[in-house]
Amino acid sequence: MEIKVIAFGQIAEITGKELMLEAGDIDSLKLHLIQKFPELSDKKLAFAVNKKLTQNNVILNQNDVVALMPPYSGG
Amino acid sequence: MENDNERYSRHYALSDFGFEGQQKLLNAKVLVIGAGGLGCPVLQYLVAAGVGTIGIADHDHISLSNLQRQTLYSTDDVGKKKVEVAFLKLEQLNTEINITTYPIELTSKNAWNIISEYEIIVDCTDNFATRYLINDACVLLNKPLVFGAIYKYEGQVAVFNLNLKKSKPVNYRNLFPNPPKPEDVQNCNEVGVLGVLPGMIGMMQANEVIKLITGLGDVLDGKLLTFNMLNYEIFTVDISNEDSVENLIPENREAFELTDYEFLCGISIKNIEDLSPDDFIKKNSAENTITIDVREVGELPKADFEHIQIPLSELNDKLTEIKREHIILFCQSGKRSLKAAEILMEYFGTQKKISHLKGGMTALEQRKNEQNN
Repeated sequence: MEIKVIAFGQIAEITGKELMLEAGDIDSLKLHLIQKFPELSDKKLAFAVNKKLTQNNVILNQNDVVALMPPYSGG
Repeated sequence: MENDNERYSRHYALSDFGFEGQQKLLNAKVLVIGAGGLGCPVLQYLVAAGVGTIGIADHDHISLSNLQRQTLYSTDDVGKKKVEVAFLKLEQLNTEINITTYPIELTSKNAWNIISEYEIIVDCTDNFATRYLINDACVLLNKPLVFGAIYKYEGQVAVFNLNLKKSKPVNYRNLFPNPPKPEDVQNCNEVGVLGVLPGMIGMMQANEVIKLITGLGDVLDGKLLTFNMLNYEIFTVDISNEDSVENLIPENREAFELTDYEFLCGISIKNIEDLSPDDFIKKNSAENTITIDVREVGELPKADFEHIQIPLSELNDKLTEIKREHIILFCQSGKRSLKAAEILMEYFGTQKKISHLKGGMTALEQRKNEQNN
């Protein structure tokens, strides 16, 4: 499946704001991302599939949009 | 309060808001934690709007570098306590409401009683230890929490612990179950922030508070909004509560008060003493003490007190060179010195007394500036 990945904050500085990746589920997407960007391996981030946050290994479909959201602490 | 108070005439005139909405604001009790970049606009707008009881908690002093975004403070205020100046300015803005100040650092020991006094809590802090502490306290006390956070040109806003539509309310731990390690997060001191950003995010938080109190519109109940101020893009996601995070939150008040949030967030480590700038200056010249700069060679500002330099990257090779009993470590922000302290702790165990300058040279310089003003 071709998945559109969009990234925010500190994560976007590593991956760029938008990229396309092949993945069948969140776990394989994580694996591809870390292979491509090893720096991501120790970063905290939340995954949102089609604007819904998930902690689980959700199945991904063609044209799904996955957002990578890091925590911000500034105030 | 009278119906014809001219101060609120533009609220009375608003359809759907009116006298009733104003009365709800006047009856509300809101606690704003942090009177910095986010806290200033939140406070200014809530005070102006006529929220009847407002608490402000902050232990920090005003520094010159705050003024670029913390709009309650003036150049003359540098060195003064934030809550004291904020109180004076806000009291002038609206004489008809009650403002209480808490000039203390919020900890798990003192948070419970303060938070209990209020109906809505606004998180305007700048560090994860306090954010997780506030989150957990609000879950346990069942208080709606209006969250705001910023990074460079982007900000996040969310409302937690409401269950207007969901069966189970969500909290910050549904988003990020555990705090990140300090070395993985950059703060405003290190990466900078455009001054307007906390203004915009803080106003969104103030708006959420007003909507919560008056029942107007749709609040960001269980949603995380990310705002990019460079292109005005807004991205909102639903936070799911499919996974229980209850086991991550202390069970009750007693367990909460025993939780060391700085330790959980890797900001403090057992048996390693955190030194404030004042303690650091005192202990630096004590007997049998060695002070070590663990920054890389050439980093500024230079230290103008007695010390040796062993960059963190070389520390493992030079452990045997450290003979004295008391070791004080410092770096720029306090993160690398803590890392260095961990390495020393592993090597020396408790046979040496290891401490580090919390907040690093940045905190030391700020303290010096305060004293000069």
